[in-house]
Amino acid sequence: MRNERSKKHRVLQLLRVAVQAVFLGLFLKLLLGARFSGEDYIGRVEVFFHFDPLLAVATFLASREVLAFFGLAAATVVVSALLGRVVCGWVCPLGTVHQGFSWLFKKTKMARPKKAAVGGLWVKYAVLVFVLVASLFALDLAGIFDPLSFLTRTLTTAVIPAFAQAASAAIGGLYTLRLEAFGDKLTQAVEALTLNRIFQEGFFIGLVFLGAVMLNLRRERFWCRYVCPAGALLGLLGRWNLFKVKVDEGKCTKCGLCSIHCQTQASPFPNAEWKSSECVYCETCAAVCPTKAVAFPTRWKAEKPPAVDFSRRRILAATALAAASVPFFRISKARKRADPKLIRPPGSLPEAKFLAKCVKCGECMKACPTNGLQPALSEAGPEGLWTPVLVPKVGYCEYYCSLCSQVCPTGAIKELTIPEKTAVKIGTAWVDKNRCLPYFLGRPCIVCEEHCPTSPKAIKFVMAETTLPDGSVATQKAPFIDLDLCIGCGICENKCPVVDAPAIYITSVGESRSKENRLLLQFGGPAGGE
Amino acid sequence: MNRRSFLKSAAAGSLALGARGRLRAAPPPPDLSYVQGESPAALAKAAIETIGGMGRFVAKGDVVMIKPNIGWDRTPELAACTNPEVVGALVEMAFAAGAKKVTVMDNTTNQAQRCYIRSGIQAAAKAAGADVPFVNPRRIKKMAVRGAWLKEWDVIEDFVAVDKLINVPIVKHHSLCRATIGMKNWLGAIGDPRNQLHQRLDEAMVDLAAFFKPVLTVLDAYRILVRNGPQGGRLSDTRLTKTVVAGPDAAAVDAMGATFLEIPPAELPYLKFAVERGLGRIDLEKLAIEKRTV
Repeated sequence: MRNERSKKHRVLQLLRVAVQAVFLGLFLKLLLGARFSGEDYIGRVEVFFHFDPLLAVATFLASREVLAFFGLAAATVVVSALLGRVVCGWVCPLGTVHQGFSWLFKKTKMARPKKAAVGGLWVKYAVLVFVLVASLFALDLAGIFDPLSFLTRTLTTAVIPAFAQAASAAIGGLYTLRLEAFGDKLTQAVEALTLNRIFQEGFFIGLVFLGAVMLNLRRERFWCRYVCPAGALLGLLGRWNLFKVKVDEGKCTKCGLCSIHCQTQASPFPNAEWKSSECVYCETCAAVCPTKAVAFPTRWKAEKPPAVDFSRRRILAATALAAASVPFFRISKARKRADPKLIRPPGSLPEAKFLAKCVKCGECMKACPTNGLQPALSEAGPEGLWTPVLVPKVGYCEYYCSLCSQVCPTGAIKELTIPEKTAVKIGTAWVDKNRCLPYFLGRPCIVCEEHCPTSPKAIKFVMAETTLPDGSVATQKAPFIDLDLCIGCGICENKCPVVDAPAIYITSVGESRSKENRLLLQFGGPAGGE
Repeated sequence: MNRRSFLKSAAAGSLALGARGRLRAAPPPPDLSYVQGESPAALAKAAIETIGGMGRFVAKGDVVMIKPNIGWDRTPELAACTNPEVVGALVEMAFAAGAKKVTVMDNTTNQAQRCYIRSGIQAAAKAAGADVPFVNPRRIKKMAVRGAWLKEWDVIEDFVAVDKLINVPIVKHHSLCRATIGMKNWLGAIGDPRNQLHQRLDEAMVDLAAFFKPVLTVLDAYRILVRNGPQGGRLSDTRLTKTVVAGPDAAAVDAMGATFLEIPPAELPYLKFAVERGLGRIDLEKLAIEKRTV
């Protein structure tokens, strides 16, 4: 029986796996390349995103701006129109991850599909409509579901940090075994990758990913079938494509294996029910068919494709639900007054525009050399979930670095040259005199001044007199912030010896991107004004 | 005393020493060499030759650690880190003297990769054959510093587990200890929370200098930082002084370094502590200083 299977389609299947591996490898290579390479400008490591039509459309709708770099998405549109959802089946790195786990679950008999699944396909089209309608209201939810954003965010804030910590522990084992030279070598190799290890929501984002992976136990490529709005969009674009599954009625034994093992519920059998908008051209149906009855002949002639599993009523319902949901995202106090801890990366657009463009992919957090950029929880309100904020206690903004602005795939962080970047103010430093050593204890310190990167320094001195319990007076140099010079980089907060709650800290006020979150009046003066 | 009058007396002293030397078979090397010229690498080489050559400090088969200041993400013309050419020349000289292995490293303040690369030191030291590793947290160990104030601290093992240690600081302004030169440089050989040492920085620096005991200190005063220290940021914060000083007495080298910032050495509390603790001499006018121009 096995010999009757199509060798040609088995080869195609293996070729598809190879292509998937290549694209996943390329994706990882680019992601790992989002770091300081030794050069000030690191090139277009975010290019994968620009091939993504979902992000292109959603960002266009939300920001009302045509972004030239998203022109690459046209290539994906053309490929999908001609060949169907091959990008899902052969290219998408998240699709590859899900398919890899699905394969593993089936191989280990943890998942045993016995009959072809039915129904549920409409959900991803509803997600797509929801996301696009929300975008119309400048509410950018695309990044929550977009596969590239999802995977980049997960790898950056959960998988890579976990890997780095595990690697570190494993290397520690080498030292225990007295293999110090080998341990040193590996440590230097890992160090050279500058992997960020600390993310305030890494655990939670990791759990979401784990959930998405475990759903593959229930249905193969669950995410791609039922959730992914990018897949839904490509499905709609690819409905009229050239390759259509053909089952040879004469050879078919009606065993149903093709539909049981179909990765995306496209239903090759019965042939009349095959869905061009679901098929990802994984070649599995043709390869498992025991009688070589399934094939993908090219057919130029236009043929009415089978209906997409999405009714007009559901389109309307999803649209109404999205429109009704938007205001709920905006009840938050985030839009009323700036949050002091909402310190955005340098180059970030004004908050409303930033939120309309940020797809929460976390690429900036990957690139940040100090690990300071972290996924927001509540600082920016519900629509700002997982958008980047600088947490200076974890890492400060490196003075001569503009990597976050370079790698942002949508321009939510405007690309800056290094000289432009050093002029951007992202917040302001404040001194807590009740904790600062010179002010409160009369002890020398001024670590903040030492680290202040501007020239002239934004931290100046006053001589602070502190009366001590014995009646003597200690006089010390104490920090005084020059608000015109302070750029809010946060290195002072990061290096402050009062480690738990630093005696000098950054808040967002004075950030140059905002017209409202201001402090110093600049009537007629040149500094900081617009 | 300003730098000029000091140099005059220093030159007189070295002349006198030279005169004495001629009576003997082999003149003893001076306490300090003071070399001026155009090329940082040539200055470093001449400075070492003048105090008796690298062979005086590094023996065949030695494992050598060279400690520059790579603390900041600044390019060489901003004079926040040691001149890379000086470091490269020292690595070459150490190998020429028979060193088995030469390592160059520092516990940086800004991101390590940025500091190592943009200071130019990683490339210069590697080109000369040195290892230039990043600090490995597993090699930071609590050690008995046994200082007058600092009793124990986390120290990076690499700086201790070597035969010879060479300190290569740059002369810079610092708002707390006024001058950051050789002794302050040891804060780059220890672990965190090193910032807390600022509470008694002068004593900590001297305790660390006594603990590490370099065989040689080479002072990079090619381009020095005169304000906004210790990282500067503008060319106007620096001054081109085109000098390299070398000597085995760490206190004497720092005393000489202070003169570039126009600070009389005796005014620096940490140098007073250093003298009290017998780490060396700071009475420059009484030291044998050989001055050359290359």
